[in-house]
Amino acid sequence: MESPRDRRYFAKKKICRFCTEPLEIDYKNVDLMSRFITDRKKIVPRRNSGLCAYHQRQLASAIKRTRYMGLLPYTVLH
Amino acid sequence: MALKPNYYETLYVVRPDLKEDELSKIQSKLPEFIAAHDGEIMKSDKWAERELAYEIQDHKRGVFYVLIFKALPTVTRDIEKHLRFYNTDVLRFMTVKINEEVAVREKNAAAERSAAEHAAPEAPAESVPSEEPKPEAVQPETAQPETPQDKTPEGTVVQPETQEQETPSEEPAEPKEAEAATEVQGTPETTAEEEGGKE
Repeated sequence: MESPRDRRYFAKKKICRFCTEPLEIDYKNVDLMSRFITDRKKIVPRRNSGLCAYHQRQLASAIKRTRYMGLLPYTVLH
Repeated sequence: MALKPNYYETLYVVRPDLKEDELSKIQSKLPEFIAAHDGEIMKSDKWAERELAYEIQDHKRGVFYVLIFKALPTVTRDIEKHLRFYNTDVLRFMTVKINEEVAVREKNAAAERSAAEHAAPEAPAESVPSEEPKPEAVQPETAQPETPQDKTPEGTVVQPETQEQETPSEEPAEPKEAEAATEVQGTPETTAEEEGGKE
């Protein structure tokens, strides 16, 4: 039995995409990396990306590598 | 000496207006460093030429080259030092350690590609790797098209029962799962939408 209170806190269950899909975190995969940055070019936080801690860390460092190589912007103000 | 060879990947960006001979001057040295310490080049290739996300030394575009090799950790220092020496031509460079499986996969892919180029009559002579192409990687694909199905699709009438039964039973069972499956395997566009709505 679902009470209204439960429904208030209902959120779609997030499953880490890199755990379930045959995807690799590669800093050269710019299209994939760009899916995990906001429109202000910040790295999407874990609460939004839905990744597990391990893959979020991998992803964050991969995005930073991508940025360094000039493949992704650091900010919108370049 | 407890140093073990690792697998490394160096990605470097050069100026888009760099001349051929200048580029080869930079690139020709790289195998020497690796060979000097019994390393092995697994892939040396142009990765892409693309727009930079921000200007680097007033350049808006860059040509990316990727070098995958197996060598002792000290070799990376030589390579980076070399690339740094040409820092007006090489805009960015970065060496990262990679897994063995990734390195081997890239090597096989590169070997396959160079083998295909050799087979083609008009093989472009740019940067053919010194390593011998491995034909063994090609074989499993050619062996595939053996389908032991003796069914003649036109002659036999497939029972309509099975088709009708399957489709309605699957659909109302768990539509949520089906949606999730399409999301999971979806194209980049669908997932991009998903990300976009999260602000």
